[in-house]
Amino acid sequence: MDPLPSRNSNLPQRRADFATVPEILDYAAQGQTGISFYSARGELLSALAWREVRERAHVTARKLIGAGFAMGERLLVTADTWPGFFDTFFGAQYAGLIPVPVSIPVGIGGKDSYLDQLRRQLASSGAVAAVGIDDLAGFLADAAKDLPAVRLHGGKGILDALPEKAVDLRPLGPGDLCYIQFSSGSTRHPHGVQITQRALMANLAGMTGPAGLDVIPGDRAASWLPLYHDMGLIGFLMAPLICQLSIDYLTPRDFARRPMQWLNIISRNRGTISYSPSFGYDLSTRRGAAQVPADLDLSCWRRAGIGGDMIRPEVLSRFADAFEPSGFDRKAFIPSYGMAEVCLAITFSPKGAGVRTDIVDRIALGSDQAAVPAADPQDAQRARSFVLCGRVLPGHLLEVRGPDGELLADRGVGRIFVKGPSVMPGYFGEPEASREVLSDDGWLDTGDLGYWLAGEIVVTGRAKDLIIINGRNVWPQDIEWAIEARRVVKSGDVAAFSIDTGAGERVVVAVLARVSGEEARVALAREVAGAVREAIAVDCDVALVPPPTGLPMTSSGKLSRARTKANYLAGLYAVPGSPSKPVAA
Amino acid sequence: MPAPRTGESLLRTAHQLIVEHDDIASTLELPRLASRVDVIREICRHLAPYQAGERPIGGATVIAKDLTIDSLAIMDMVMELEDSFDVSIPMNLVAEIHTVDQLADTILDLRAKR
Repeated sequence: MDPLPSRNSNLPQRRADFATVPEILDYAAQGQTGISFYSARGELLSALAWREVRERAHVTARKLIGAGFAMGERLLVTADTWPGFFDTFFGAQYAGLIPVPVSIPVGIGGKDSYLDQLRRQLASSGAVAAVGIDDLAGFLADAAKDLPAVRLHGGKGILDALPEKAVDLRPLGPGDLCYIQFSSGSTRHPHGVQITQRALMANLAGMTGPAGLDVIPGDRAASWLPLYHDMGLIGFLMAPLICQLSIDYLTPRDFARRPMQWLNIISRNRGTISYSPSFGYDLSTRRGAAQVPADLDLSCWRRAGIGGDMIRPEVLSRFADAFEPSGFDRKAFIPSYGMAEVCLAITFSPKGAGVRTDIVDRIALGSDQAAVPAADPQDAQRARSFVLCGRVLPGHLLEVRGPDGELLADRGVGRIFVKGPSVMPGYFGEPEASREVLSDDGWLDTGDLGYWLAGEIVVTGRAKDLIIINGRNVWPQDIEWAIEARRVVKSGDVAAFSIDTGAGERVVVAVLARVSGEEARVALAREVAGAVREAIAVDCDVALVPPPTGLPMTSSGKLSRARTKANYLAGLYAVPGSPSKPVAA
Repeated sequence: MPAPRTGESLLRTAHQLIVEHDDIASTLELPRLASRVDVIREICRHLAPYQAGERPIGGATVIAKDLTIDSLAIMDMVMELEDSFDVSIPMNLVAEIHTVDQLADTILDLRAKR
């Protein structure tokens, strides 16, 4: 089996001038490019030209229509990187159904929280069917048990077993939804972003055009990003597809296992475009730099994007140092910013500029909401560097607003708002949650904080409580609930937040310590950390709060995570088993 | 040998390739027939650095809870065990494992099914 070609021999490249996903695939199917799946050991497992992807999708679509599913009904699919996902996702596009890609279980012992998440996603999307890889058929059955709306569930075989009937396809049109993206909201109250065909086309045009990646014929994409994440599905399926590129895939699990395979695949297939959150570059450097293959040649990689979490300039610089001898060009780095609520991307750093930072005074940032250039950029205590994320995509508007909604000028830190054709119409079936982030005149509150610098946006953090660990969104409510559900502490006795360690985010859980004695305190902390690890698969530090002090509340009597965090950083809470107080990051 | 992930015939064919090219399996020092005791000993060897307090690590130890191991290290350990014992633990089974015993039994079941 040979890798699919990077160029089509007689199909001119059309870059993102389509109206729907079915149209995109119809065009790409006329060429020879397509998708290839690689194993953790770097072998090509299977390859599907876009033509085959389309043919298989048509078969799946006729089966779905023949089974009586109505236009607009939702189909949940576990978005592991496997051919069956492509059959189901594109099959739904041609059958007029709305796919709902969801994640796969993470970590050991995660079954219960995964089932819980599946149930909520099924209910929230009103899905009528749920399919996944065969291994997950049992979990899908468990999750669908009490949901009569789910008429069909199981492994991919359940779709394959449906009879293919001679029915007309019903491709989704320009005014339709494309799919529902679950990446927003906590697992308890998941919000599915409505990705419309129209918004997706607008975002893809920006992303692949001159203000974005500026895709050219012969480009080739490589990705290990999960397809249940907007950066995986839109960034590394839709964007290459809308330019008829070939894509080489490694599963996220295999990337974690052998990160060097990501780079090997780029090198071997002469990949030109690949993205990762900072942590992926970090993992590759830490695990791969010691044994770089002599023939690794990354000189082909012209767009090395970073997105999905706070961009860590030190991490990227270490990666570039490690792989420059293998031809990596640090100017290929493209820091970018976005979120599922705008499909994916909203700003791109200029091509060929690499990572540019602005070093500001940490204290002014915290107390005056101002990004004042640091007096001494070398002073690690006072100086903090942020990455410039570029200009807003053409046709879109970006604002940074102060606490009273006033527009801020350069270096004033405030909330980032965005407006334009990529912005979602709202969360699926959640008018209230949608109104909280979308104004009547179309402005989206991103919940992120940042400032302007000569026309470019610099993202400094988040106004909302969301925690992002290794590119994964984790809501503090889910952490708190996991601890309470295991009856480790009473409801309301816990607050979760994250601190910035410089190398990434670290979860801290503050709990009221209703126990005495060092041994009991250490045991409590261990139990809290264990509960979080088992339910959410993230690690945390535990801070003990004396019951008389209590956790800080807002004026309306809600838990204030922001003030809990401020207290923690000020050293007001004890960290069991450590002689010293916590050090502010 | 990892189990085929799906009903895909392409994957299944390619999957047989892995075995031929597998340099790790050929350097295995572990006996082809691993006993339950061997498997548990190997797991405990991985977990030893993460022992919390005086309580020894044993079959009933709840991996994510009773130890100081972090989630990335857990996944690393599972991957190394998969390589050592030449199995691939499907994600649904991984999600159901809590204790050392359960991990060992899962590995033994998968080896027996090969």
